[in-house]
Amino acid sequence: MARLLDVRALHAQYGPTKVLHGMDFGVEEGGITTILGANGAGKTTTLRAVCGMVKTQGEIAFAGTRIDGRATESIVRLGVAHVPDGRGTFVSLSVEENLRLGAHTRSDKAQIALDFERMYGYFPRLKERCRQQAGTLSGGEQQMLAVSRALMLRPRLLLLDEPSFGLAPRIVQELFEIFRVINQTDRVSMLLVEQNAAMALRLADHAYLLETGRVLMSGSAEELGRDESIRRSYLGY
Amino acid sequence: MDVLLHQILSGLATGGIYASVALALVMIYQATHLVNFAQGELAMFATYIAWSLVQAGVPYWAAFFLTVAIAFALGVVIERVLVQPVENAPILSVVIVFIALLVILNSLAGWIFTYTIKPFPSPFPSAPLFGNTYVTSHELGSIGITLAVLALVFVFFRFTPLGLAMRAAAQNPVSSRLVGIRVGWMLALGWGLAAAIGAVAGIMVAPTVFLEPNMMSGILLYAFAAALLGGIDSPGGAVLGGFIVGVLENVVGSIIGTELKLTVALVLIVGVLVIRPSGLFGKVLVTRV
Repeated sequence: MARLLDVRALHAQYGPTKVLHGMDFGVEEGGITTILGANGAGKTTTLRAVCGMVKTQGEIAFAGTRIDGRATESIVRLGVAHVPDGRGTFVSLSVEENLRLGAHTRSDKAQIALDFERMYGYFPRLKERCRQQAGTLSGGEQQMLAVSRALMLRPRLLLLDEPSFGLAPRIVQELFEIFRVINQTDRVSMLLVEQNAAMALRLADHAYLLETGRVLMSGSAEELGRDESIRRSYLGY
Repeated sequence: MDVLLHQILSGLATGGIYASVALALVMIYQATHLVNFAQGELAMFATYIAWSLVQAGVPYWAAFFLTVAIAFALGVVIERVLVQPVENAPILSVVIVFIALLVILNSLAGWIFTYTIKPFPSPFPSAPLFGNTYVTSHELGSIGITLAVLALVFVFFRFTPLGLAMRAAAQNPVSSRLVGIRVGWMLALGWGLAAAIGAVAGIMVAPTVFLEPNMMSGILLYAFAAALLGGIDSPGGAVLGGFIVGVLENVVGSIIGTELKLTVALVLIVGVLVIRPSGLFGKVLVTRV
């Protein structure tokens, strides 16, 4: 299988502070890759680097084209959707307007209408609240909205930044179930960053363990999940 | 009573002008959190363009729409060429750019068109409409046009995808980029729209205040008072504030004398900032420190 996202020797920095020191990783077409690691290891920065939100060096290729150095909005338009850290809700716009913005780059009206129904099918609570100001939603609902907004782009690659953060375990279960469905039915590839390593390893097929901006270990999700010492030292379960 | 009614009605007419300029100020404020001090001079310059077109024999309404289009383009170009390079600069640098723009446009107008005061035509008949004695046709017409512009702006922002994208870009640029909105262009478009709205205001006010390079300086002050009164981040508030300031200015002016008219605006600005800095409809900004 070809790699949809192929990253080589990725360095990233915020001003003078270097955060990533030469990372190599990738996402297979149709696959789910997860990046695990402690707080401050550079997980969020990795996702930001992929869609051009931080200064980077190194090679980032998406579907065979180099995207490093491009503007965020141009990368997004290639089909890379990002569910950001902090959810990125447009708080004073309605839920429906938030979703409409997700489809900003598309012009296929009939398909967009169908996708609205699909999102409301995944998350019925969003339908109930579609006229409500998005800032008044609960944390879980805003996370659902962030995921739906990203999917409205009809992405080929979905970047997920700690989707389980601050959510009740039952909602996390629901959310991950939907990720699996989306991955299997729509063939959306995913790059998932998570604190909840157990959940992430169950969903993903490939995993990278990150420590202070370097890949410490990589392999199939199954392998990494089985390794007793890794589990105890790095994944905490 | 008659006098008062007359004052209120013509106050509404000038209030409409203030409302338009205030709306232009608010639009740029929402996107950049800065007050564009050159907004009035942009409108003045656009009015000179309209005047030149009319002088060249272009029919009034053709000149009107052509000017609005030119002002729009001018706004976009100014944003791209002059404002965009200082996007991430400290606030003071940007303010200096705005003030430079004000001075440059003012002098440029004086240089090209001279400082001689010029009459500007009104598209409306000189006889009062419907035989009323309270309000001139031009006042009534300019209220109508102002309301039409405001309605158009409202519909644009509320119901079109581009309007939605512009609101999103103003509110949350990071998330906007993540859904593929070209935020830089949305800002330029905002400048274009603000300049176009200002052009309409300039053309509508020119027949009453006459055309000269400093014609908008007082108006900008009133518009600023209007925007503050309504809440500098609330477009609806700015519009309402414009009408309130227009009426207040006229009525108070007729009681205490026209020399003190401009004082009304200044008292309002200071009063709002002291008593209720967020204005009537503005959001109160709460920051954790």
